[in-house]
Amino acid sequence: MAAASVASRAQSVLRGRLCDPGFVHSALRSSPDTNYSKLKYLVASSVSEACNNSVLLLGPRGCGKAAVVDMVLDDLKKEHPDAISVIRLNGMLHSDDNCAMKEIARQLCLEHQLSFSKMASSDDNTEFMIDMLRECGLAHKTVLFVLEEFDLFAQGKQRLLYSLLDAMQSLTSQAVVIGLSCRLDADQLLEKRVRSRFSHRKLLFVPPSLDDIQRLVEHLLILTQDSGLRAKYITDYNSRLANIFIDNKFKGCLNSLMDADATTSNILRFLFRAVSYMDMESGFLSMESFQKALSSMQRQPKMDSLQDLSILELYILVCMHRLEDKEQSSYNFTSIMKEYRSIQDAYKTSDKYSSTVCFRAFEHLLDRELISFGDNRGRNQALEYRSVKLLISSRELAQSLKLNTTCPAVLQKLLDRERYM
Amino acid sequence: MSQPVTPRRTTRSTVSAPDPASPTSPSNSRPKPTPRRQLIPTAAAAKEEEEGEHERSTIDALLEALPGRRAQATDLLRLLAPAPALPLLLHGGAATGKTRALLLALRHVRPRPRRVAYAALRSLPSPRALFASLLTQLSPPSSSSASFRLRVPDKPSDFVAALRDALAGLSAQGEAVYLVFDNLEVARSWDKSGQLLTLLLRLYDLLRLPQVVLVYVSSATPDAYYTMTGSVEPNHIYFPDYTVDEVRDILMRGHPNPKLYSSFLSVALKPLFRVTRRVDELVAALEPLFRRYCEPLGDLKSVPDESIRRRLFEHIQPHLGVALNETFSVPMRASVDECKGHSSGGKAISKRQFGNRDSLSTELEFHMSVSAKYLLLSAFLASRNPATLDAALFDSTGGSDNHKRKRKSSQASLNMKDTMLEEMLMKGPGTFPLERLLAIFQCITSVSEDALSDVECTDSTMAGSGMTDLMSDVLLQLSTLCNSNFLSKSRSCPLEGSARYRSNIDEDLALKVARSVNFPLSKYIYRR
Repeated sequence: MAAASVASRAQSVLRGRLCDPGFVHSALRSSPDTNYSKLKYLVASSVSEACNNSVLLLGPRGCGKAAVVDMVLDDLKKEHPDAISVIRLNGMLHSDDNCAMKEIARQLCLEHQLSFSKMASSDDNTEFMIDMLRECGLAHKTVLFVLEEFDLFAQGKQRLLYSLLDAMQSLTSQAVVIGLSCRLDADQLLEKRVRSRFSHRKLLFVPPSLDDIQRLVEHLLILTQDSGLRAKYITDYNSRLANIFIDNKFKGCLNSLMDADATTSNILRFLFRAVSYMDMESGFLSMESFQKALSSMQRQPKMDSLQDLSILELYILVCMHRLEDKEQSSYNFTSIMKEYRSIQDAYKTSDKYSSTVCFRAFEHLLDRELISFGDNRGRNQALEYRSVKLLISSRELAQSLKLNTTCPAVLQKLLDRERYM
Repeated sequence: MSQPVTPRRTTRSTVSAPDPASPTSPSNSRPKPTPRRQLIPTAAAAKEEEEGEHERSTIDALLEALPGRRAQATDLLRLLAPAPALPLLLHGGAATGKTRALLLALRHVRPRPRRVAYAALRSLPSPRALFASLLTQLSPPSSSSASFRLRVPDKPSDFVAALRDALAGLSAQGEAVYLVFDNLEVARSWDKSGQLLTLLLRLYDLLRLPQVVLVYVSSATPDAYYTMTGSVEPNHIYFPDYTVDEVRDILMRGHPNPKLYSSFLSVALKPLFRVTRRVDELVAALEPLFRRYCEPLGDLKSVPDESIRRRLFEHIQPHLGVALNETFSVPMRASVDECKGHSSGGKAISKRQFGNRDSLSTELEFHMSVSAKYLLLSAFLASRNPATLDAALFDSTGGSDNHKRKRKSSQASLNMKDTMLEEMLMKGPGTFPLERLLAIFQCITSVSEDALSDVECTDSTMAGSGMTDLMSDVLLQLSTLCNSNFLSKSRSCPLEGSARYRSNIDEDLALKVARSVNFPLSKYIYRR
């Protein structure tokens, strides 16, 4: 039991690490040539030299853009506690210009202990922001604007971006705009008047390489002596983990994971699952937990739901597939029923059901989203007459029939014969 | 104070037990687990041991309550707690126990969650209602009355700000708060659904509170949300449909006479299982069948031996075939909640037509006047027959001459007929203007005058002055038929400007109606 309690504590330490983006990316601090050091240099120099700046961080989701920004801001807050105020906006919440202005004014008020008026108009807020920028510039205080989902701010009139970047053209102001986006062409979305005021500094984030990943995994999973657990447990744990790391099977796991998605967040998800599957009796991570995590991440939802179908539902899918093979441009439930009846008449199986029952099975398929209506026309028409289409490939259907142990042989034959014809 | 978990889900049995999440719940007599972490190991070990025993028994209780969901339940427990956890997405078909497993697992999670906020998107039909429900569940119990007076945020930005405030207060002590979003798939058909779903799926990025665990439940597969997730994709847990053995176990639970029921299931379950694998539908289908099965038995408590079993099997055998084809027919006078059970099963059937097939037809005779029946028949004919043939079918001789018109058909015309047939199948019943309906109505009523002699409009069909009477009456009947969904009124034709109608009944029902008024319907149906 003692082992279990140590294990559960170790597990919660590991989970805490995996869910803390600051810890995940903290390895970046030590190495010199990373986006972290570049961004830090850029922002720190504009803080110390009292100038305006703007930069875009671009890269796919889950590569640590926001985490890097957070780390840089944390460091700067420690170095220059009084010279920085941070305004955070998110394109998903504040893409509306008025709303964004209001949010900026609110955060500025909060930062400088001013009372914020909810009733202020958008123009008032804009004016307030420009005044504040000037005041902060005079006090040698840098205002940092972090705009997440930057591409969403570029929809519409871009009034917010324009007034922000325009305010930064004056000598008195002192501000840095950091935009984060997963659209690599985010700067191309800007209007001409906005683009000319933007500095065109861009930092590109790419998914980590296999070596980086291995280093990241070690950084995340190896317990240090100061984690509050018994020293003996920690050395045992670490030596076992080291054995797993040099195992070829583990490398195979990482490789197949990276083939699908090599972003940091995907790796984190994998490790999180593996840590959650930790064997609580022994209290150590084992190869099985990694393999189990991998297999649970590589599920194919379509195949899974195909496996869940009843025989009648499979019949309907096969009928639909036959109709598609006949190159019938569009078909609906009544034509499926015709095909179904012809099959039942030809083979005399025991699975002949009335059309009510078949219709319910048809609805189940719609529910599972294995089939869908072909068009949105005829919304007020009866469901039987709306044209439908298959959302699965013939390969998936054939494979699921093969895997299904209860599936009657007739169905296989019906599907196979189609192919040779 | 009992609002933290599912005030709206009272229909599910999970909710009947005391609320697991509320901090003041009486079952929560254990000391808070966080301070124990700092105890010295020896003292902790004894306590942990006792707790370990306790834990194992609760896990067993959980697995007992969720038959056939062993793997999913253990996965849930492992992924949900302890607190810093990545978001979780439970997916799987309808009636696979997703919500039940989740709510039960949340009750067994150690350390106990501080608060569980549950929002089923199906019962909160707008973003505003969703926001309001979440915020009231998260607000402290004492100020719940005050929070009603607070303005409910309708903009996402206000909502996230309010949510962060509420959560920051709750999770300050280091205890976990669980936010559960059920029926995520229904939100896809809402207005601006993309925006709301993106917001919900990216809450993890937006809130950045490690003590808040987000759980999504959806019957749609994760690919449906792939483009909407933020930097952190949720972990998936798949709930497969139950297998035959699992279904049998579920059905057997708590049955008064297990021996009898199991011998019944060994006969009846397999064939029904070929049709549907959903437990809710199977239960509904098996229940009347079991009553039929027990009929020959005098004593329901008796344990059947081999001979009785054979006798019962012979008794039930003919009914089984019938039941297979009648599965899912809703009885006419089903009680309201029974209907609900059915409609919750089929989600996409909002437009399902009512008059089509169900057992309704047997009761029809008692509910319709003769003229309404004729109207229904004429609407059926107008929908099925091409308008160009009306003259041929309904001329003065009463359509009896259409046999003479048979011509030999060439190969080309046969092909054409085939494509026509295809087209017919695709298009479904046609629409028709009111004038055509009334014309056919007059024709068929005049043909069977004898049948109509006892109907109020016989004399007025001929007399010019009585025409208005007939019209008003027929229009009334027509609107009744439309309201009960036997006919549907489609959008008005842009050229003619008048409304067009379509009949929704199928041929079986039409023939049945025709038989009840002795009308030779088959003579008038145009066959290709």
